[in-house]
Amino acid sequence: MSDTPLIQIRNLSKSYGAKLVLKNLSLDIYPGQVIGYIGPNGAGKSTTVKILTGLIPEFNGEVIVDGISLQHDPQEIKKRIGYVPENAELYDVLTPMEYLDFVGKLYGMEEELLTARAMKLLSAFGLGNNLNDRMDTFSKGMKQKVLLISGIIHNPQIIILDEPLSGLDANAVIMIKELIMRLSQEGKTIFYCSHMMDVVEKVSDRILLINKGEIIADGTFESLKQNHADTLERVFAKLTGRNETDSETDAIINAFD
Amino acid sequence: MDKILLKLVSLFMPVLEKTGVDTEQLYHILKVKLLIDGRRPSAMFAGRRKATATSGKATTSWAVSLVTLLMGAFLGAVLFIFQMPLVGQTVYFSMFMVLMSLTLITDFTTVLLDVRDQYILLPRPVNDRTLAVSRIMHISIYVFRLAFLQALPGIVMIGIMDGWLAIPVFIVQIIQITFLSILLVNIVYLVLMKLVSPQKFKDIISYFQIAFSIVIFGTYYLLPRLINVSVLAKIDLLHYTWSYFIPPVWIAALNEVLIHPDRANIVTSLMAIVGVTVPLAGLWLVAKVLAPGFNRSLAVAATSDGNSSAPVTPGIVRKSRFNIVGKIANLIASDPVENAGFRITWKLAARIREFKIKVYPAFAYVPIYFLYFSLNGKGSVNDRVTTLQHNRGYIFLIYLSTFILSAILQHISFSEKYKPAWVYYALPITHPGKILSGMFKAVVTLYYFPYCVVLGAVSIAIWGPAVINDLILAFFVGLTYGILMALFMVKGLPFSKPVLVKQSGGRIITSLLITGFIAAIGFGHYFLAKWETLIWALAVLAIIIYCIMLYYYKRQTWENIELEEF
Repeated sequence: MSDTPLIQIRNLSKSYGAKLVLKNLSLDIYPGQVIGYIGPNGAGKSTTVKILTGLIPEFNGEVIVDGISLQHDPQEIKKRIGYVPENAELYDVLTPMEYLDFVGKLYGMEEELLTARAMKLLSAFGLGNNLNDRMDTFSKGMKQKVLLISGIIHNPQIIILDEPLSGLDANAVIMIKELIMRLSQEGKTIFYCSHMMDVVEKVSDRILLINKGEIIADGTFESLKQNHADTLERVFAKLTGRNETDSETDAIINAFD
Repeated sequence: MDKILLKLVSLFMPVLEKTGVDTEQLYHILKVKLLIDGRRPSAMFAGRRKATATSGKATTSWAVSLVTLLMGAFLGAVLFIFQMPLVGQTVYFSMFMVLMSLTLITDFTTVLLDVRDQYILLPRPVNDRTLAVSRIMHISIYVFRLAFLQALPGIVMIGIMDGWLAIPVFIVQIIQITFLSILLVNIVYLVLMKLVSPQKFKDIISYFQIAFSIVIFGTYYLLPRLINVSVLAKIDLLHYTWSYFIPPVWIAALNEVLIHPDRANIVTSLMAIVGVTVPLAGLWLVAKVLAPGFNRSLAVAATSDGNSSAPVTPGIVRKSRFNIVGKIANLIASDPVENAGFRITWKLAARIREFKIKVYPAFAYVPIYFLYFSLNGKGSVNDRVTTLQHNRGYIFLIYLSTFILSAILQHISFSEKYKPAWVYYALPITHPGKILSGMFKAVVTLYYFPYCVVLGAVSIAIWGPAVINDLILAFFVGLTYGILMALFMVKGLPFSKPVLVKQSGGRIITSLLITGFIAAIGFGHYFLAKWETLIWALAVLAIIIYCIMLYYYKRQTWENIELEEF
């Protein structure tokens, strides 16, 4: 781990109309870190990710990746980032090979390298027999795998994963978890957004908890545990003000009376 | 064809490169977009496309091209019919413009509103300029291909008619009318975007699709019967001042001035000049003024998923509407299961877009068919209308409206999103017939009954109150027909089955038999209509038969229903 942060976020704010979604967010992320980014629905998680990946070009504050300002040269930053979006958006009338060829070429990759890498990755993910099938016949898990591959095909420094395990079976989940560890050993920085606390707990070096547009906890799982509770689930519940679950379940049970 | 177009585009690449476009990326974006277009079924064939969609094969773009060519040939024929100056070309270009605008709106909107671009293209290192140019080029290629195919037959025909010199002029005219269509479509889009939310936008586009089918159907059946071609061919367009203000007339004037200079005068020349300048000005307006605003609202529409602070509709308003439907439901279908069937059918039928696109045109087909058959005959239009008033055509009209029932029932059990229907199978429903009868009642109350009331009111207005007994009889015979259709043809619960590739042959024969049976009753009715009391008696009989059949329909068991695998 080096001392200069790879991603620096300074006073990042974003509002939709009168609603302030991000409130002066400031963050430093170092190379090789696996960041677990968690928070309740509507806390501003997706907005942060969308700003980082260039989906939302308008925001206040400063985002610097690898010494480059996001406002100044977004394209140079996008080259260093691989993004796996939450809602499995891809052109499903294409075959995986066609889609990966397209995406890879947008990153300016050479055809030879691209084809070879796409085939290797697809086979490694168990899609070797579906290279040339249209993706509209694919299951959700298969599409998710193609999406994952399209996020790492150009061998990016930073990988942003938004709920990457949805639709995957248990074996694939184990594989992805291992993959995240291996990628981080290779020096990749990984930004992992999820609602699955047990997975976040296991894969992350550092956990960021965002609530109502502000980071309310930042540290390793161990340090969070000491301050608050014994599992990440409890930490989450406690910090986001949901510790009165008893009364909620009471109300549910009482509704049958 | 796509490859040729891509080659054509490549010619501009060096120029674009200088303006900061990454031509390599541009090429690949366009290539993929065209590939996707080729594989996406055309909305124009919404009714037929399902067959290919489920079998996993694309509607070959060749089939679409062929149909466009055929349409173009139909249009081209217009050029021959009208011999007077301007008229032929005016009609040709008017129809060209309507057809093109409707195709653009119905077919290309899905491309424009593709939200996936936000997720797929934006996170990649593609600069804004490349993205914008790729969008413009994609649209241009689409429009160019459409215009080319649609105009090709016309180009040949004009060459035969006015000599080969007319061909280059005609091509210029085509380009001009295409520009005008783009302007028109842009204005329609902008107005819609200003007025409605992005979610509503798609609904409105589907109404355009419905209108499109009706326009095509109506012109095909009625136009040749309503206009007396021999009169229209001799019309002198310039005699009417209003014609000076119709854009297609300006375009047509260009041919007049350049190819038939002997027939042209000062007015035609002026119009020709307007015809050249206005489309260019229009294109400039689109590029400089309309398109930027358009792109902005599109971006807002695309990124505002979930985060959009959609104005919450006041609960009171929604509730009162809900109550009316609820009251009708409770009145007509009181059994809880039947009630559920009624309400779900009512709501889904009114909200599912694909269902509306397939079924709503049928409402317009009935009057069109009616006019088509009634006007079919000798004599002038006026003569035929008076004879219509003296016979008992209204009986025919009501029987014809069973067409709506069969159109709805044919589609009611199918949906592209059929998966949520698992609830029917997972829940302990002992009498699925109750859901079916609820469904049938909802279809009748929502569509058939109001439609017959309107037709009945029109009939009473034209033929007098003496027709009431005929209307009642015809209405209930129609309902009986509906039950028979539902019993033999509808084998699934509402919106519970994937859209089928094709129906088995046996079904079609059954359907024909039922229709023939009802047609026979209809003719019987027509001949007995003189005896008013008899009709009243028969009406009562029809009501009783209908009630008995409904009773048995309600008792259908799971054995009668084709189960779907999930």
